Amino acid sequence: MDVLIQTLVSGILIGGIYALIGLGMTLIMGVMKIINLAHGQLMMVAMYITYMLYEYLHLDPYFSLLIAMPVLFALGALIQKYLLNPLLKVDSILPENQVLMTVGLAMVLTEIIRFIFHSDYRSVKTVYSNATLYISGISFNVPMIVAFGIAVLLSAVLFFFLLKTDLGKSVRATAQNKDAAILMGINAEWITILTYGLGSALVAAAGTLLLPIFYLFPDIGGPFTLKAFVITMLGGMGSTVGAIVGGVVLGIAESLGATYISMALKDAVAMVIFLLVLIFLPGGLKTLTKI
Amino acid sequence: MQSNNHEWRNDMRRLAVVLTVFFLALALTWTPAQAEETIKVGIILPLTGGQAAFGEIEKNSFEMALEEINAAGGINGKKLEFLFEDDTGKPEVARSAAEKLINKDKVVMLGGGYGSSETFAISGVAQQNSLPFLVNTGSADKITEQNWDYVFRLNQAVSEYPTGLESFLTEVVKPQTAAILFEDSAFGSGGAKSFQETCDRMGIKVVLSEGYSKGGMDFKPLLVKVKQANPDLVYMISYVMDAALLMTQSMELRIMPKAFIGGGAGFTLPEFAKNAGKAAEMVFSATLWYQTLPYPGAMEYYEKFVKKFNKETEYHGAEAYAAAYVMADTLKRAKSLQAKDVREALAATDIKTVFGPVKFISYDKKINQNKLPTYLVQWSGGKLELVWPKEVASKPYVFPIDWEKVWK
Repeated sequence: MDVLIQTLVSGILIGGIYALIGLGMTLIMGVMKIINLAHGQLMMVAMYITYMLYEYLHLDPYFSLLIAMPVLFALGALIQKYLLNPLLKVDSILPENQVLMTVGLAMVLTEIIRFIFHSDYRSVKTVYSNATLYISGISFNVPMIVAFGIAVLLSAVLFFFLLKTDLGKSVRATAQNKDAAILMGINAEWITILTYGLGSALVAAAGTLLLPIFYLFPDIGGPFTLKAFVITMLGGMGSTVGAIVGGVVLGIAESLGATYISMALKDAVAMVIFLLVLIFLPGGLKTLTKI
Repeated sequence: MQSNNHEWRNDMRRLAVVLTVFFLALALTWTPAQAEETIKVGIILPLTGGQAAFGEIEKNSFEMALEEINAAGGINGKKLEFLFEDDTGKPEVARSAAEKLINKDKVVMLGGGYGSSETFAISGVAQQNSLPFLVNTGSADKITEQNWDYVFRLNQAVSEYPTGLESFLTEVVKPQTAAILFEDSAFGSGGAKSFQETCDRMGIKVVLSEGYSKGGMDFKPLLVKVKQANPDLVYMISYVMDAALLMTQSMELRIMPKAFIGGGAGFTLPEFAKNAGKAAEMVFSATLWYQTLPYPGAMEYYEKFVKKFNKETEYHGAEAYAAAYVMADTLKRAKSLQAKDVREALAATDIKTVFGPVKFISYDKKINQNKLPTYLVQWSGGKLELVWPKEVASKPYVFPIDWEKVWK
């Protein structure tokens, strides 16, 4: 029983961070209808910012959230404005030009970081990195719980923004029907810039929260881009609720798979679920929730 | 006048063309002439990708050795040149890198090869093209078990890693049960299999043997099983960051066997201790080399590297540094730079390097394999100390270990 509970606990906690990673990608997917294949790499950049702040200014990673998120917001907005939007105006053979651009961006970001920091593994070792709570034999890693809490909080703020504010409603309107939104007087170009910025800021938060428990090297982005992609598909492309559920489902599935099947097959478990969802629930988990 | 002008312009044009052709021809003849001055050797390492940190240590060591070799006169008067190619940690990239070095750059021999799967791919290409390949890190046993006469290995095979450990287990730890955790690569599963055989031979019961895919974030599901099995010994074959996370999460779950032993690779790197912090303390690891070993130049190499790169080095770097000297020695002795002659010279190698004596022999199913002992190190006070065999130890081992005290 202890084994099962411990497995579920670590699955849910990891799932919270996965959800945060997936949320950003799903937002971008919803509004721009593109898969942002530089998502994990943007997270990596945020992690390096946090790392630098910790290393040189001894700033606690949780405070760095307040810096890493705005910086990544700006970076994301600039990418959208100067690199992705101009592509929309160019007629070309491939309509997926923007996706290809994100692939290129991912490589450029990785190599710039490698050029500056080399390939060394780095990590942020705070006093609480290994802090653990024990409740009747089950261990809870404190930074994981904090990360989970902040992830929930950020998701709540995002929902408030999307549901209650004018700007948020404009984002949703653009996602639902871009042409109609433009006709209603929404500046769609500005909305795409805002969305890419928001998506980047969210994944920046995920990266910063991961840093006290995980580690950092220039190629860390790739696997997380893949995770974000799986979560986005699981949740139903463009659905924010779906992304949260998808993230937690992925976390739990990976943990259960690792405990009861084999840890070597952890990624295979995620992919099998991915396939099952595509076959039996092509619209993703959002078709179950109707939100 | 007009026609004259026209003619004059035509002449100038012709002159320009002639001059251009002349310079181009000069440039063309110049390049090969200059290239003939150096002897090219191709080195394939993971310079980007997840294993780039190791590739960098090795590349730095290769370059350091190269500088010294060329400063000391090069290869019979000619300069040695290393052409580095990046295998990005993928066998298919390694294969095309090897093909490029052989067919386009016309190297006289190949070196490097970090991961076992990549090394195996390069070995296949080298054998097909009959070009000597000196392996210095890839350690899966099968690499030298294919009867490939152009493939030589300087380092110990992964099945040898626990040999230095065996006597330590029988004389000091005396475990009844063991758990084996390994990354599911050629290197990891090969190492796990040979340690399982070691356990069977020594009468240690293996209660759990499980693989994982590297780069994981959460090892708790795996470690929970270890905790339940409660073994006397936990043996892990992992790369550096997996190793650090395995230890920090073991500490979190309070898994307390008599000893944690790493099977080389990640457990000996400075990054392991830096990232695992106090969870790295008192962890043992098999190792292939240590700077205080009585090999000529070992300590000098270590100190020079630290001074030059402001970073510590360990056995991977020593392997690369030694490989560079073996190559230089081979090329000096080779009758010609024909692949056949280089192979012959390489097979006849018998020199002492910082990594230990190098001589290629055949044993068991292996051919062209250098046989060297392995050692045991232990992390103590954030530093790696050689603790076994006793005769060469840099510090006495700490055992038994009070984990509550170490992890406080």
